[in-house]
Amino acid sequence: MRAVLRSFAHNKKASIGLVIVFVIVALAIAAPWLTEYDPTRRVGRPHQPPNWDHWLGTTRIGQDVFARLLYGARTSLAVGFGAGILITAVGTVLGIVAGYRGGRTDEVISFFTNMVLVVPNLPLLLVLAAFIGQASPWVIALILGATSWAWGARVTRAETLSVKQKDYVKSAEMLGEPSWRIMSFEIFPNVVSIVGINFVGSVIFAVITEATLEFLGLGDPKTVSWGMMLFNAQNASALQVGAWWDILSPCFALIALGAGLSLLNFAVDEIANPRLRTGSTLSRWSLLMQRGEGRL
Amino acid sequence: MAFLFRRLAFYLAAFLAAATVNFFLPRLMPGNPVEIMFSSTGSDLSVENLEALKLTFGFVDGPLWQQYLTYLHSVFTGDLGRSIKYFPLPVTELLGRALVWTVGLMGTATLISFTLGTVLGIMAAWRRGSTFDVVFSVGAIVATSMPAMVLSLVALFIFGFELNWFPTGYAADPALDPAVSWQYVSSVLRHGILPVLTLSIVLTGGFLVTMRNNMINLLGEDYIVMARAKGLSDSRVMFWYAARNALLPTVSSLAIAIGTVLGGSLVTEVVFNYPGLGNTLYQAILARDYPVIQGQLLIMTLAMLTANFIVDVSYVLLDPRLRRA
Repeated sequence: MRAVLRSFAHNKKASIGLVIVFVIVALAIAAPWLTEYDPTRRVGRPHQPPNWDHWLGTTRIGQDVFARLLYGARTSLAVGFGAGILITAVGTVLGIVAGYRGGRTDEVISFFTNMVLVVPNLPLLLVLAAFIGQASPWVIALILGATSWAWGARVTRAETLSVKQKDYVKSAEMLGEPSWRIMSFEIFPNVVSIVGINFVGSVIFAVITEATLEFLGLGDPKTVSWGMMLFNAQNASALQVGAWWDILSPCFALIALGAGLSLLNFAVDEIANPRLRTGSTLSRWSLLMQRGEGRL
Repeated sequence: MAFLFRRLAFYLAAFLAAATVNFFLPRLMPGNPVEIMFSSTGSDLSVENLEALKLTFGFVDGPLWQQYLTYLHSVFTGDLGRSIKYFPLPVTELLGRALVWTVGLMGTATLISFTLGTVLGIMAAWRRGSTFDVVFSVGAIVATSMPAMVLSLVALFIFGFELNWFPTGYAADPALDPAVSWQYVSSVLRHGILPVLTLSIVLTGGFLVTMRNNMINLLGEDYIVMARAKGLSDSRVMFWYAARNALLPTVSSLAIAIGTVLGGSLVTEVVFNYPGLGNTLYQAILARDYPVIQGQLLIMTLAMLTANFIVDVSYVLLDPRLRRA
């Protein structure tokens, strides 16, 4: 564990990613202290460009964009992490059970996994959300969890299949340990890197998808979130009337969160698979290669 | 051949699953499913028309399995009902018109991003750790984590509204009639550039990272060492020894990526007001035009399964081991 933490601290991408995510989390938590405005109230004249009273301007109905951005971060983060946990939990359990049990169980789980993988995800979500009506962020997180676990289940299963062959699993079986114990204490700790990658990837996916569903008009209009900000701005023809602050603020917020999370994901991937590392350990080696000294 | 038949059977099952979702969803919702599906606000749906629609979607008097069979019958005979918003227009026709634009958009963007991503991925892996690698692989990762709509909106703002280089909506100048003339075709191309460009940026990253990681894993193999020991040129080892083998898993990742392509094109079309499936869907969602929304899922599933099948076939062509089995 400590080794993992240390490699995280040494990895430049991981550090930058962590800083970005922490800053966004801190801003979201500190929202009431950073702005005096209520994100849902009309607090100024419509579509005012950024000024001292309204740092990021106002929306068409005169809400403060900065306040909406800060409070909206709460929704995006909550749905992202909530749905991320759900997606990862379902995917991990199904993947490990399918990989370890094998046989019939594996066939059934794999069949469903592959099926969910080939049915296009976004249209499916759209149909679900459309019938639910104005979906609140929590409902969106739930349907994301229910429909998006397939990729995680597939990679966890593949990893489980290779871990299953290891001697320590065989000896645990020989000792007569119950299979639930083997799965949770022998296999799970050894596929944890895949679970980590799956988790961060799922959070990114959930943040993007929640914003997309709301942007497409399936969200609850009372929600304060980045997706609803985009939807409202687009509906108010913000770009056409030149109110760029209204539409670009949530855009850049989403870019920042996505970039932070994906840097983290990249770093987790590198720590789990040392061959992919681009950092300082390899730079000396590649320098030698370039000079021709290390030429094979 | 057996492999391809197995895949076909599987795709049939997947399509059936999508149709089943469509069938059960309105029936699982609280309230009267017929009212939910055909709430005809502002549309002139007469009684006999409503009866016909109810039949199409399996709302017949009878047990559930009978309703299900009725619905499947209409799906497999290509009857997806009629749009509520544009009433007498059949859903298949509405979506068929839009599909052409989406396929064009997606096809071009996928082609560009797959080629670009693969080549850049090969080069990044070859010079892993270099500035080139860091810039491109980190850039790729960041690009893939950006929602398509964000990139589209930013591109639309900069190149459409501020610089005024490209049109800000539609697939062609609405004043022109569709014809095979230079004027019309060039208008289509001009309108397509921005959506294709943003979609390609979103997609390139994924292909780049997959290719890079596959390559790096292969570069440690003995036969690569052997090829270098023989004194073969860098480019020969890079393209003919490593990249050729690294391409195989990339092709299979293409199948999974098609879902992302579909989702990305949906959103891009809405932003650019491009008359493809995505925009049709957006309009249908705003009007709660359920037959269109449901038809969309089926059409998109079908498109995705077709694309998957093409990937399967190319996989068989690329991997001799599958051909023998």
